[in-house]
Amino acid sequence: MENNTFDTVIGLNVSLKGNLYNKGSIQVNGTIEGEIKSDENLTIGETAVVKGPIFAKTIDISGEISGTVEASEQLEITPTGKVYGDIKAKTLIIKQGAIFVGSSTMTEASKAKVVIEDKVEIKDAVTPSSDKSGFFGKK
Amino acid sequence: MYYYIFDIKKCKKKSQVEDIKRYISALGISGEFTYPSAAQTVEELVDLGLSKKYNTIVAIGGDDIANTIAGKLCGRPEALGIIPLDISPELGAVIGTNNWKDGCENLRYRKITEMRIGQTGKDQYFITNIELDLKQPTDVTIEFRDYIVQSKASKLVVSNFSPSLKKIGPEFLDIEMTSLADHKGSSLASFFGFKKRPDGYSIFRARSLRVFTKSQIALCVNDRPVAKTPQMIESTDEVIRIITQKS
Repeated sequence: MENNTFDTVIGLNVSLKGNLYNKGSIQVNGTIEGEIKSDENLTIGETAVVKGPIFAKTIDISGEISGTVEASEQLEITPTGKVYGDIKAKTLIIKQGAIFVGSSTMTEASKAKVVIEDKVEIKDAVTPSSDKSGFFGKK
Repeated sequence: MYYYIFDIKKCKKKSQVEDIKRYISALGISGEFTYPSAAQTVEELVDLGLSKKYNTIVAIGGDDIANTIAGKLCGRPEALGIIPLDISPELGAVIGTNNWKDGCENLRYRKITEMRIGQTGKDQYFITNIELDLKQPTDVTIEFRDYIVQSKASKLVVSNFSPSLKKIGPEFLDIEMTSLADHKGSSLASFFGFKKRPDGYSIFRARSLRVFTKSQIALCVNDRPVAKTPQMIESTDEVIRIITQKS
């Protein structure tokens, strides 16, 4: 068993309750009820189900999240990703097939960048604070 | 200066005892040789060595004797030397060799490395790792300071030192768990020779943890049961001074 990429890995069929704080990177493939915070990267795998707010420098979401999501740098929701909650990020990427139900806020608006691909299911108002380059621009 | 505690059971043949003594003498690092017995345990011998003001207690043997002496020397200025006889690869990685002659050479150069060790129960210590003795996948609950983890685990190893893991801090233990999981997609990866981490693989880092199971299960250091669940496992606050290979 070797893992040098992530400091913490929550494996498939593992459930975690409580608050997970980590200076290093975190990968989640299991179930979490509680808050997740990382100073580095947070990867929510396809099999992951998270109920609670998450905070990290960069966040990749391929699984399901119910809760607020805040990335100080980049947030990417991949085609299998489902986010039910408000999101906040400097750079936001939503791939085709992703589900996002909630509102979004862009931090450092002047530098903010949003990329939304076709066929993204957005079920609520999405209001970037000031993205003049065009919110629905294709990547 | 050197107080040797010799686990003769680990010698492959009788003559090895004399071979080691001769080699030590030739290197100019002779000292007092002692042998644990039913009448005098390793712990008692360490106390005796310390009372005689030896500044280096040397374990000649395997992980068991090294762990026992490490526990006695934790937080003390005296150094721990190890002349390895049939030790685990992990302990070999700590001292830089699994060869007894190289272990003797290490003593001569006396490069000291400070490290914390793991502790479980009242007086059980481990330099490298401790493993939950799981014969089959079992419901395991691990309580950390801020969260609780539950899973049907097939393997649980708590490492103080593992050559394959990058330690995030000297005070952290690495907790590796493999849970029962589907391995969808892994067959193709293994067909092409990729070494894929199991989907049920988890790793946590913590200073302390409590392990719970429905029925009592042994915790083993080098296949030797040293404690039973429910059990607290933690990293010691103090360090040992261990003699390692000269870089």
